[in-house]
Amino acid sequence: MRSPRILEVWRLGTVNYLKFLKIQDKLVSERKAHQIPDTLLSLEHPPTYTLGKRRTDHNLLIPQSQLTKIGAELHYTQRGGDITFHGPHQAILYPIISLRSIGFGARNYVETLERSMIEFASMYGVKARPGNKCETGVWVGDRKIGAIGVRISSGITCHGLAFNIDPDLNYFEHIVPCGIADKEVTSLRRETDALLPSEEVIHKQLITCLAKAFSYDDVLWKEDPSVILDTQR
Amino acid sequence: MALRLLWASRVASHLRISVAQRGFASAVLKDLKYADSHEWVKIEGNKATFGITDHAQDHLGDVVYVELPELGHSVSQGKSFGAVESVKATSDINSPVSGTVVEVNKELTESPGLVNSSPYEQGWIVKVELSDAGEAEKLMDSDKYSKFCEEEDAKH
Repeated sequence: MRSPRILEVWRLGTVNYLKFLKIQDKLVSERKAHQIPDTLLSLEHPPTYTLGKRRTDHNLLIPQSQLTKIGAELHYTQRGGDITFHGPHQAILYPIISLRSIGFGARNYVETLERSMIEFASMYGVKARPGNKCETGVWVGDRKIGAIGVRISSGITCHGLAFNIDPDLNYFEHIVPCGIADKEVTSLRRETDALLPSEEVIHKQLITCLAKAFSYDDVLWKEDPSVILDTQR
Repeated sequence: MALRLLWASRVASHLRISVAQRGFASAVLKDLKYADSHEWVKIEGNKATFGITDHAQDHLGDVVYVELPELGHSVSQGKSFGAVESVKATSDINSPVSGTVVEVNKELTESPGLVNSSPYEQGWIVKVELSDAGEAEKLMDSDKYSKFCEEEDAKH
């Protein structure tokens, strides 16, 4: 009989991007060393543009010097994918999990992340679909509602997904989102007339959809975020 | 998909390896050695050529970018030396042997998809001069690797 698969979830509120990267690095090392179980961070970022490993900064349409004027930061990362925007009212999930223990490669992993978001959207009557070839992510018609950009190192995942609940979509005007021109970005708020509950409830629902998609037996909700936010330890 | 199965069956029957019943069987070549992170290596004297296996490329999806190491770079067995990107995921690739990089497959910069279409031939990634020929003993042969892949795939 196999041992139960547990996902530990930390809900961290709004976290600055550089601080998140420090937290992530620490957790990835700990996961690789089997010091922690599969872990999920659920959070939001202040307005932040990020680039992937291929450094496609030609998809940033305003000069970097203008970013502070619009209240945003820019960060380069090692994740896959192109340029994207993170900001308030966008739910971000960062799974730090072992793919080898479930025999998953990149493709299965990303497809399961897509399914998590599609399942979540369906709770509000929104019919979302996975992207076509070269358009990884989650779409409602031709409008992108969920983005994915991940890194896999020694079979451990980091970075993750971002689902637009009700972010300020104007920020996306300053980039070619995910490098795909002439496609709109949308949000749950735009796609449904349903009454949206509090963001805390929404994040919990999204996390539950992910945990189900990855067949976790149990979710452990960690109560004290300061344990993880204190990166000096 | 059907073409790949046909190709795999032809390769398999040529090399006398059984094709698994599950539908798609990743090709495993007899005269190569394999790491558990799904890289293959061909050793010729004190030189080695390596890349990622058919199983690996299938699990990655369409490769859109390959990060190659610099010439002269040192690689260590089991340690990351580069990465590939597919489906918005960057996946580290580990070196199956230790040595110094003497050649990289520049074709992969323009045609990263060679890793998918020809993982053991045109999709080779790096050639090194070995620093420790004995390390190859730690790798799997084709039979062990085939079994390893079956066990991994059975996990889900």
